[in-house]
Amino acid sequence: MPYIYINIILAFVISLIGTLIYRSHLISSLLCLEGMILSLFTLNALLSLNINFALSTIVPLILLVFAACEAAVGLALLIIISNTYGLDYVQNLNLLQC
Amino acid sequence: MMYVVFIMSVLYVVGFIGFSSKPSPVYGGMSLVVSGGLGCGIVMSSGGSFLGLVVFLVYLGGMMVVFGYTIAMATEEYPETWGSNVVVLSAFLVGLLMEVFMVMWLFSGEHELVGFYFSGLEGLMVLGEGGFEYVREDYSGGASLYSYGFWFLAMAGWMLFVSIFITIEVTRKRY
Repeated sequence: MPYIYINIILAFVISLIGTLIYRSHLISSLLCLEGMILSLFTLNALLSLNINFALSTIVPLILLVFAACEAAVGLALLIIISNTYGLDYVQNLNLLQC
Repeated sequence: MMYVVFIMSVLYVVGFIGFSSKPSPVYGGMSLVVSGGLGCGIVMSSGGSFLGLVVFLVYLGGMMVVFGYTIAMATEEYPETWGSNVVVLSAFLVGLLMEVFMVMWLFSGEHELVGFYFSGLEGLMVLGEGGFEYVREDYSGGASLYSYGFWFLAMAGWMLFVSIFITIEVTRKRY
């Protein structure tokens, strides 16, 4: 069982590295952020189910709500960038404004 | 089939490497959907069928659909896949190699620092198949969001409501 936890924490670290390293698109970093949220959800759900503490299954649900709000704001920023520059290439962002 | 949950978690990590090596976001989104499905399978193997349903409905069916539409809006003419670019392919292969080494290390014997034997079945049996339990943990936990966790519910609902206004005002550049 802890070997499954190792894999999920490893998945979190991999998508954290993917968020911090930029390539051409900005939306790939937002996708890696979503991957971080998914791995946190899976970890929280597994822990709540395996220590048999039913009340802490609220935590993954609330985490998902916060992740939805965060994705909405991130996508709104992406839309402004795409409206100004046509594409969401990271190399276009040199003015420090959208 | 004893190790099916472990194989699912290894494929979960491979899916994460797949979108973390940053191909074109179309393929990244596809890899995230595959990882979401496998994560649902891992959660359901511990008896959490409600939380697996939440992953599919809310996460994949809600957030990933919105991501898919946005990616379709902001994509390019020739999307690069894992095989078309040597940077993406090498990042994917390095991650895959790391995962293979980790699995080989895990299977190479018992380790003093972990102290758990992998062939114990208590982590791999599905709960609730005997038909003798009276409480489903994840259903009652999700239902307690409305009774004990009412303040969580109120804050989460208010936050979702405010974030609609935030999104509208940010898109109109009035931040």
